[in-house]
Amino acid sequence: MRMIGIDVGGTFTDLVFADTGSGQVTIHKVSTTPADPSQGMMTGMEQLCARAGVKLSDIDTVLHATTIATNAVLEHNGCEAGMITTEGFRDVLHIGRHQRPQHYSIRQEIPWQSQPLVKRRHRLTVKERLTADRSTVLEPLDEAGVRNAARVLKAAGVEAIAICFLFSYLNPSHEKRAAAIVREEYPACFVTTSSDIAPQFREFERFTTAAMNAFIGPKVRKYIARLAEELAARGLTADLRIMRSNGGIATAALIGALPVLTLLSGPAAGVLGGAWSGALSGRKNLITFDIGGTSADIGIVLNGGFIESAARDTQIGGYPVLVPMLDIHTIGAGGGSIAHLDTAGAFRVGPRSAGAVPGPAAYGRGGTLPTVTDANLVLGRLDAAHFLGGGMRLDEAASAKVIGELATQLHLNAQAAAEGVLTVINANMANAIRSRTVEKGLDPRDFCLVAFGGAGPLHGAEVAAILGIPEVLVPSHPGICSAMGLMTTDLKYDTVRTVFARSDRLDPATLAADFQAMAGDLEAQVRQDGIDPAAATFRRAADLRYFGQGYELRVDVPDGDLDAAKLTEMVGDFHARHATEYGHGFPDKPVEVVNVRLTGTAPSETLRAVPAPTGGSLAAALARRAPCVFRTAAGLREFDTPRYERDLLPIGEPIPGPAIVLQTDSTTVVPPGATLTALADGNLIIRLGA
Amino acid sequence: MVDPVTVSVIHGALETIAVEMGFKLMRMAHSSIIRESEDFGAAIIDRHGRGLAESAQSTPLQSGPIPGYIRGIKRQMEKRGETLRPGDVIMHNDPYGGASHGPDVAFVVPVFIGEQLVGFTATTAHHLDIGALTPGSCGIVDAIDAYAEGLQFKAIKVYDRGVRVEPVWQILHDNIRAPELVVGDMEAQVAAARIGAERLLDLIGRYGMATFDAACEAALAHTEKLMRQAIASLPDGSWTAHTFIDGFEDSDDPARRDLRIQATVTIAGDSLTVDLTGTAPQVSDRPINMPFEGTVDIAVWLTIRSILLDTAVFGHIPVNEGLTRPITITAPKGCLANPIFPAPTIARFSPGNQLADTVMKALAQVVPERVSAGIGNLRVMAFSGETADGPWVHMEIFEGSYGGRQGSDGMDAVDTLFANTRNNPVEDVESHLPLRVRRYELREGAVGAGRWRGGLGSVREFELLADGGVSIEGDGHTYRPWGFDGGSDGHTANMQLISGNISTNMPSKMPYRRLRAGDRFQCAGPAGGGYGPPRQRDPESVRADVLDGLLTSDAARTAFGVALTATLAVDVAGTALLRE
Repeated sequence: MRMIGIDVGGTFTDLVFADTGSGQVTIHKVSTTPADPSQGMMTGMEQLCARAGVKLSDIDTVLHATTIATNAVLEHNGCEAGMITTEGFRDVLHIGRHQRPQHYSIRQEIPWQSQPLVKRRHRLTVKERLTADRSTVLEPLDEAGVRNAARVLKAAGVEAIAICFLFSYLNPSHEKRAAAIVREEYPACFVTTSSDIAPQFREFERFTTAAMNAFIGPKVRKYIARLAEELAARGLTADLRIMRSNGGIATAALIGALPVLTLLSGPAAGVLGGAWSGALSGRKNLITFDIGGTSADIGIVLNGGFIESAARDTQIGGYPVLVPMLDIHTIGAGGGSIAHLDTAGAFRVGPRSAGAVPGPAAYGRGGTLPTVTDANLVLGRLDAAHFLGGGMRLDEAASAKVIGELATQLHLNAQAAAEGVLTVINANMANAIRSRTVEKGLDPRDFCLVAFGGAGPLHGAEVAAILGIPEVLVPSHPGICSAMGLMTTDLKYDTVRTVFARSDRLDPATLAADFQAMAGDLEAQVRQDGIDPAAATFRRAADLRYFGQGYELRVDVPDGDLDAAKLTEMVGDFHARHATEYGHGFPDKPVEVVNVRLTGTAPSETLRAVPAPTGGSLAAALARRAPCVFRTAAGLREFDTPRYERDLLPIGEPIPGPAIVLQTDSTTVVPPGATLTALADGNLIIRLGA
Repeated sequence: MVDPVTVSVIHGALETIAVEMGFKLMRMAHSSIIRESEDFGAAIIDRHGRGLAESAQSTPLQSGPIPGYIRGIKRQMEKRGETLRPGDVIMHNDPYGGASHGPDVAFVVPVFIGEQLVGFTATTAHHLDIGALTPGSCGIVDAIDAYAEGLQFKAIKVYDRGVRVEPVWQILHDNIRAPELVVGDMEAQVAAARIGAERLLDLIGRYGMATFDAACEAALAHTEKLMRQAIASLPDGSWTAHTFIDGFEDSDDPARRDLRIQATVTIAGDSLTVDLTGTAPQVSDRPINMPFEGTVDIAVWLTIRSILLDTAVFGHIPVNEGLTRPITITAPKGCLANPIFPAPTIARFSPGNQLADTVMKALAQVVPERVSAGIGNLRVMAFSGETADGPWVHMEIFEGSYGGRQGSDGMDAVDTLFANTRNNPVEDVESHLPLRVRRYELREGAVGAGRWRGGLGSVREFELLADGGVSIEGDGHTYRPWGFDGGSDGHTANMQLISGNISTNMPSKMPYRRLRAGDRFQCAGPAGGGYGPPRQRDPESVRADVLDGLLTSDAARTAFGVALTATLAVDVAGTALLRE
């Protein structure tokens, strides 16, 4: 199987070619073409194939992580969308949870009010009403009203319509019927129902998810169609697969209908890439740590498995979205983060970033503010002549100047100021990791930190040291780890149902019937993608909470026929999970089953390994020695530090820090006291001092 | 002396701890008032009682008062000759001892290294019931004194040197309605505060007490400087404003209704004083009096801070005691804003928010570009009843709206100023309670006209599906939110009780009343005041409101001087004529 993985980021498009038969892996990087990302992709693919010595038409699968949906939301440039909703509830999207995003602000704007996904004039109501009791129809659907609303919206020029009725997660019949009527009246319209996309309770969140899907739908659908055309025009008949936020891939057809599933496409691929790299070296408990120019993404891999966010924690640009997403925590800390003193003299680094343009002062593109990258350069952690494999010369004088100015403001010398920038940004990153581990009952000392992204390997070791994490793993190609991650996963399908039943009154047979019906839905989806459902595996899970609580925790539902004993086991797991997560449990309180979930996985061919490095010697790897500043117990000290070419490092030979490892797409810092080892599988491992 | 890098690192760690405490409390909590409405707080306090950091999720009216609770506890224990010891957990809700009001119960963990007290971690939460005369902890509007409001806890140890004080927990169990929920939430509060204490000890351990102390001093000095700079940039002078609250609209006693709230803001250099002289005398036998420490101070601080150091403009600013140092608050003893024990205070929510609005009105004369016109106040309703599973209580906060702002319209249908809670999803309410929500929409046709119009109110309608009871505490039925700089006043709220064919206009405060299945409440929320002359409003914005069904073409013409054509385009010539 020949695959290409493409991760389109804000600045660069990363590409990987892999032949699972021969084991060949080839990587490439081109500039992103923001106006039409497919242009950069096509150029990149042609160049990549030329490098790899294959023809485009020989490619079997193209896997793609995209920001098209995410950008449409963040830049608020989706389509003119409409909505048909329950009479009496026209403004659910507008009122939201009646809470302001900021406590202490008069001049703030509320995103869903100042930038509505659907304008009020396009939110029409119809008579219909369901209740919390699955079988009761309080008011039948006014079909003529729906038809009329569809006509009005069509005449108003909307391109997409979201159909959002109360309690549709329990009984989707009204939404389904309304969708059918809208399609009759307006066949070209992009139609979405809230029950199809997020069949869970909480109307503001569900309606917003459906409205967002409608808002970005036509744009994403066009983008995918265009990509398919471009691929076909180049003789590529390959399947196009797209990365979902949940860490699975999906067919282009599914994403064309449910683009809202891709909002974390790139970051999810990063977690997968980190997990895959860790697995190569037998590491199964991982903290993935992906640092780019403006932000750092943190993910947790527990025993080789991924963690999904709880339904209440998934949002984008301030809008809640009720779709499965990997639990990825993003903070505004990266190479471009700006160090500054506020008006009252407090020292801050980030969240403001110099971005790619003008970028850090070191880039010589007019940046005049001190950034994390400048601090790294001043301290000798980055090699001016060897950034992006020498493709870009860093301006040491410019960095020294801006860090010098900062130092004057801080009343510190330049080295101390530069080191202070790193101390603050590393502490911010460590706090973020702490919130995903210590605060959830996980001990960071049991984990390996996988550091990637352009800047991850620069900071990994020092962040790990703050948290007591014993080792840091740097993947073979840290700068394109996400693109690699695309090739490591399977097709994933999921579905969810809200149940609301006290566990002590729950009938196992009813629950089994729910799962049966959900399995039927998923099998139909799998079949639609041309796959034999027998090849797919299904996993059951449930969201539980103590009766009265508002936040659920997810536990697995034991395999096999459901009976009272299995339910007891599930509830027992919940008690334990609650005690771990919050440090406290209520073992005597009744438990409520809120949602049940089914995830289907259809295996795809995946990347197995990168070609093993041949190994060199320390002498061959040594590019030069240069001074580099590190903090020691006695304060800041300058070390004469070797800089090694990664490709030439000897395999399996422990190398004492301090050391700097150079490669095309990143720079790895090994602090004094730590030990570096290049592994035969292509990874670097940094063991931190005892 | 500590370097700015270490200050930043320690401060970041303190905020992380406070957030973790809040996060865990919210997720463990059982009552919707805590976990959905987010009516809870979490904070870290130093050993002198000064706030160091608060959780970001909680509502300002909960975290803000925590330092006051600690000071109240210290005073109370000193008076009784008691001492704090390692392993103690203290419960406190005394509105005359720093608490915000009785239902907001704090659980405080004093943090020790050996025998040395190094700080406090604390959580507060609004509890569903605190053993008052009728079910629920809002709408107790007929409490005649502090004793009628429910249980009073004045620095009570619920853990003594690590040992659970069982008799106290038993008293809680026996005197609170829905004890499973409420006492469970109290246990969650203790657990969250203890986690904070553990983390605080780790942090101090990492840096040492001296460095930690120095970093905290620097962090307090920093926010103090921020606030002083903001105040110093304003002209010196004195500005007074007043507004009115309904009080008890239906009362025969004039001393109970149409009550004046007055604030004089004086700026002198980098200090600011708020004097509440002119505010109506306390109502000694009705609970709309505002605790001076715990409600009044928070309302004042929050308003000044939101205007002078607005997060949308200044970015994240640490919340600690430094922010309040430049501000002095005075109020004559015996007025609504500084009542004398045992005047009842449980229903101080709406008056307190009106006080915040009044302080904004005074500041509007100094910094007109930073304020909103008058806000719409809030109302809270407690529904209660019995099901097979026992008694239930449900509290729902009804949103207000903001006035227009220079450059943008007011925020629609949100909590205002010192409250920032969340509503309960309709699908959650109906799944768990014998209630039905029949309508929840923006209120059409009631707009505070202005160049930037006021925020819109909401309309919410609840139906009882089983016999039960309701009580209400709110305000804003009599006085319209103030328009500013030529803007029109907003619109008052109103509430109808619909029972069969009979619709009754309800006052903004109603003590517990039994209702029957099928009875409905329809609540129209207030619309904020307009900002700037309506005839200067961009005609396209007026047209947009007409297209969106919020205004009629007639209102566009009469209130804004905008003429629209039959196809709802702006009639430019007609508009010019109207606006001449």
